This record gives sequence, C-alpha cells and structure tokens, in this order.
Amino acid sequence: MLSGGRWGDVAAPRILLVDDDPNLLTLLADQLRADGFEVQTARDGDEALRRLQGGWPDLLIVDMMMPRKDGLTLAREVKAQADLPIIVLSAIDTADSKADLLEEVAEDYVTKPYHYPELRARIGRVLRRLGDKVPRGELVLGPDLALELHRRTATVRSQAVQLTPTESRLLYALAANLGRTVTTETLLDRGWADTENADPSYVWVTMRRLRQKIEPDPNHPVHLITVRGVGYRLVTQDRTADAGDAGAAGDAGAAGDAGAAGDAGAAGDAGAAGDAGA
Amino acid sequence: MTVDPRLDTEVEQPRIGSGYSFRARLTAGLIVGATVPLLGFGALLVGVESARAGRLDAALTGLVLFALAVSVIVAVLFAWILAGSLMAPLRLVSRAVERVSRGDLSVRVEVAGEDELARLAESHNRLAADLQRRNVELGRILVAIGETSPRDGLDRLVAHATTSARSAFDMIDASLHLGDPGDIPVEESVPGESRPVRAILARPDERVGVLTGHLPATRSWDSADQDLLELFASEIAVAIRNAELFERVGAQSRRLVELDAAKDDFLRGISHNLQTPLTSIRAYADQLAASHPDRRLTIIAEQSDRLSRMVRQLLTVSRLESGALHPRLEVVALGTRVRRAWEALGAEDVALDLRDEAAGWLAVADPDQLDQVLWALLDNAVKYGGGGPVVVTIGRDDETELVTLTIADAGSGVPEAARDLLFGRFERSDESGHPDGTGLGLYVSRALCRAMGGELVLESAGRGSMDGRPGGAAFTVRLPGEAPDEG
Repeated sequence: MLSGGRWGDVAAPRILLVDDDPNLLTLLADQLRADGFEVQTARDGDEALRRLQGGWPDLLIVDMMMPRKDGLTLAREVKAQADLPIIVLSAIDTADSKADLLEEVAEDYVTKPYHYPELRARIGRVLRRLGDKVPRGELVLGPDLALELHRRTATVRSQAVQLTPTESRLLYALAANLGRTVTTETLLDRGWADTENADPSYVWVTMRRLRQKIEPDPNHPVHLITVRGVGYRLVTQDRTADAGDAGAAGDAGAAGDAGAAGDAGAAGDAGAAGDAGA
Repeated sequence: MTVDPRLDTEVEQPRIGSGYSFRARLTAGLIVGATVPLLGFGALLVGVESARAGRLDAALTGLVLFALAVSVIVAVLFAWILAGSLMAPLRLVSRAVERVSRGDLSVRVEVAGEDELARLAESHNRLAADLQRRNVELGRILVAIGETSPRDGLDRLVAHATTSARSAFDMIDASLHLGDPGDIPVEESVPGESRPVRAILARPDERVGVLTGHLPATRSWDSADQDLLELFASEIAVAIRNAELFERVGAQSRRLVELDAAKDDFLRGISHNLQTPLTSIRAYADQLAASHPDRRLTIIAEQSDRLSRMVRQLLTVSRLESGALHPRLEVVALGTRVRRAWEALGAEDVALDLRDEAAGWLAVADPDQLDQVLWALLDNAVKYGGGGPVVVTIGRDDETELVTLTIADAGSGVPEAARDLLFGRFERSDESGHPDGTGLGLYVSRALCRAMGGELVLESAGRGSMDGRPGGAAFTVRLPGEAPDEG
C-alpha cells in the first residue's frame, strides 16, 4: 500500500477531502497520502470553496451531512463552475431518497462506514475516467436513442429509462470511445473496480440487460454491438434498421458540424481496425 | 340549457274556441234537442186527433209522418253536429295533454276566443310552459351541481353557486351567505317590485347558510319553483361540505408529507450521528491492526461493523413502513457476496462450507440490500447453529430462471410454535436463549428479497440432516438470475 512512487513521473493526483468529523479527516487524509495522493482537507463547504480558489484538485471527496453548507449544495456549486469529479462519502445509504439527488451531481457514492480498499478502488476508477470526454448534456445516438449519462437516464423511443449506476458507468466508457471497440477487461474495470474476483460474465450479463433497456429491438441491436471475444462498441445510427452498409457513411454525414463528423469517421476506422485485429 | 321555452313551442291545429261561449252553445243545443222532438210529438198528436175525428185522409197522414220524420232527422243531425263541435276541441286538448305527459313539453294548443274550452287550452298551455321552464331550470341546476368540484375550494364554490342560481332561475341578483341563516332577515314581498326569494342551505345535521335573490316582478313563483330552489340549495350545501372535507384531507396529507420528510431528516441525522463515530472507530482499528496485528483490534472493527449494520437495519425497517425501498438492481455473483459477508461477520470459530452449483449464473439484486439479507441470515446461522458448520448452497432453477441460495445451519432447527411468526416483526426463537439482535432480521430480509423480485422462505425447519445439510434450520433466498453467456 505504501507505494509513494506509484504515479511514476506523472504528478500525484490531488484530492480535496471535505468532512466535518476531524477524526475521519485526519485518518483518511493519512491513508490517502500513504497511497501517494496529494491531499488537502476542509471542515465544511465554505472552507472547501475557499480552498478551491487556491487551485483545483483532480478529485473532491465530500461528506453529505455537514453544518452550514451540506455536501449536496457544495457539489452543485462546484459542478456549476467546473466538471470536477466528486465522490460522496455519506452515512446516508443508497436507498435514501437523497442518494438519487447526490448521484446526479457526483461521480460515485460510498456509504459510511467505508471500507478503505473499496474507497481506494473507487477513487482509482473515477480518476481513470478523467480522460474520457463525454458531453454533459444529451448524447443523441439515433432517432430512437439518446443518453443523458450524468442523470443516469436514457431516452428510448421518447420514453425515459432509468439506468443503474453500473450501467451508466459502462455506457460512459463506451460513449467516450464512440464507434470504437472497448474491451471487456476495460469495462469490467470501470464497472466493478471495487469487486474482488470480478468475472467477464458480469459485463456480458449487464450488457444483455442494458440491450433490453435501450435497444429498440434487443434481438437486432443497432447501438450496442458485441465484438465477439473482444468487447463491445457503441455506435450512432441515423436510420432505424435498414441502413446496412451505408450506415457508417450516414453516421458521419448526420453528425452535423465538421468536428463531430471527423470524430465519427475516425471512430469508424478505429472500430474497423479493432474488428480486423480480432 | 340556454333554450328559451317560448321559442320552442309547437302549435296544435286548428284553433280552439269560438265567438260563442261553450255554455251558450250547449244551452242552445239542449233547447233544440229538446224542442224538435216535442214538435214531432205535437205533429203526432195532431195526426192522432184528426184520425179520431175521422178527418184523417191520406194527405194529412202523409204530412204528419213527414213532419215526424223531418223533426227526428233534424234533431239527430243537430245533436251530431253539436256533439262534434263540442268534442273536437276537447279531443285536441286531450291529445296535447297526452303528448305532454309523454314528455313532449313543447306542445301548445292555439287559443282563440274566450270560452271555457279556450280557458282549458290556456291552462294546459301554461301547465306545459311551467313544466318546460322548470325542466330547463332543473337541467341548469344539475349542470351547475355537476360542475362543482371539491377541489375548487370554498370561495370558488360560493361564487359558482350564486352565478348558477342567477342563470338557472333568471334572477336579477343572487347571493350566498355562509353561517346562521337567521343573520339574513327575510324580505317582504311587495307587489309590483322585484320578488325576493330565499332557500336555506341545509344538511341533515346543520344549516350551512342561506341563498337569497330577487326575481323580476312579472315572474311567477310557485311552490314547485321554491322546491326546486331548495333542492339546489341542499345540493350546494353538500358540495360545500365536500369542499370542506377535501380541504381537511388535503391539509392532513400535506401534514403527513411534512412529517414524513421530518422523519427522513431525523433518521438521516441519527444515521449520520451514529455512523460517523463508528466510521472513525472502524478506520482507526483497521489502521492500527495494519501496523500492530492484534486479535482485539479485529474484534473492535467487527463489532463496530455489527453496530453499523444494526443502524442500517433500523433505517430499512422505517423505509419498509413508508414503502420507500427503491432497490437498484445490478448483476451480482452470489458466491463472492456470501464470502465477503461471512468475512465481515468474523465468525472465525465456525466453518463455512460454500457450494456453488449455479454454473456461473449471476443474480440480479441490489448489492447493498442483498448484503443486508446475507448478513442477517449468516448471522442467524452462526447464532443458532450451535457451533456446527454453516452450509451455503448456490443453485439455480432452469424453469423459473431463478438463482437460489440456501443457508443451512447445524442447530436444533426452528421450533414448531415459532414457525408461523418467524418472519414477523421483532420475532426470534425464545428457546435459543440468545437475547441479542434486533429480532428484525428475517422480517427485513424477506421484505428486501420481495422488493428485489425474489423471495425468502424457510426451506427446512430442521431435525434430521438431508442432502448433505447439517440438519438445522435452512433458509432459501430466491432471486432473478441471468446465464453467464456473452451476448
């Protein structure tokens, strides 16, 4: 655990830890520093905002219940300024009605009492996701499907469908690589970073269930494509089913502005290369 | 309901009545009817007298017979015509009455003259017009009552009732006073001025208020009209009561929502205040144990976890009651979950025998809630297992596509008397002599399993081992399952 140089030449990730319990603050900060993170602490929301003025960390870990400014308000204010990843650490369990609100603004949610290795795994997962660029608003994948991953919802044939936290994490990884194949191992890491002995079947079954939720016709998927033995690919589709070979060209054309069209074209190439390799 | 009754009348032809009164015609008819036969009788007498005098010749006989015949014919003819002229208007009136009684209130008989039949026709017309007007009023009242909704609130209801009363009864003005009807004095009716009307808003148990208004001086107002107004008033009284009840229920449900939110806040606070120190205890014990391995530190960590779980369980019970469980279904491997839950229990002197016969099948469950179920069941198995091994078997049912998890202990089983109450609140087997625990474990576990689309049952009450089980109590969790295929 005490591997100070685990981040190599890259600067150690900076974490701002906000909790009103001084014991926990000291302890968790020590644990995280021992794991090579650069940690700053704050006792409440206002102090956290003051610290943020001195520079933005890579990750915010925030307690839900704090005096003066609670975690939810703080998280919303921070997100309004920048897309800083947030992990909520809270004594409120996931069945609480407030947990849903928190998950809309936070990347992950860990209940107290936390298990440090699990928290550590989730921090790692959120940081790995940093490079992924997924639009914060709606991601339209075709006439029948649009995703709003930050709100964990999909719109399938104009019907809103709720996604589970794991489903939205997998879709996030796939959407960040739109058109390209994402390996099952990567997906397993994104969805089950905190699970011991995670098995590829978790990904398979979750994908199958996801297809039931978001594909207009789950037996003939057009958006969530299996690349057998390799992984999965999320693709845009501007026609419902009959596009066939013209689909790839249609994607690029339908994307609108030049930048997006370029992306789609590149994604298509990468996807094809991935297929050839398989 | 805006139809003017005067525009919608149908006139029955021909006109009724004549220049002569019915009495004059009947009198003339009776006189003629009585005198003409008398003339005939006179002629007959003349004939008989002449015959007795022997002066009867053929010519005279013929004349007498002729006069007789003519008088009879004239009498019959006259009577026939008179009867016809008297009956025709009566028949017209009776036909009109029949149509009215069948519901066709638009029928009118056109009146000419001043005789008794004309007056009869006029009163029929008036009857029909009154019926039609009251029908229209009743229709407007019903529509007005139908439009009232308890959601409108008292003020809108009062406004609606006054405007409806005005338009339904063609009033000049109308107002509704809520409270004691005695507060509003009764107005005297002055001939030639607008006529005051009034109806009390009464319910079987109380008088809610009074509806007052004024009618044009020319408007007739009979007891039937008053009845109609009172009917309207009593319906408005009922509507007002409904609105009051609705408001009260609304206020109560708002209060309940507030209380519910307050309870949620309270539980959140409790949870936070208990879990925060437990988190520190747990984390410090872990940290210390990492540098100074000590069995006592492990016990501190385990016991603080145990306390945390009990707090969670109490929160879950409170949510069960308010129906706010919200399971988030994810794909989980039961074997891994069982092993983790077992480690968290820290029952190091009891052996766990985990048999996975599900060939990689995965369950669909809320991981947090599944953990609560597993902790409760494994904890029970340790508590009541008498130190023997706990056998956990994971299997699947191909037909129902359910994954099953059976937890069996080596204890003395569940006593007959306790089986029915096993899944109730605050129940535990008294014979076991273990006073610890909340007694909520099985109650909460079953509710959680059901909320996840599964079930929790007592598989075997124990006494005698079978299928390689240790022979104590065995509980089975069933959950929706998924095959581990790539797809």
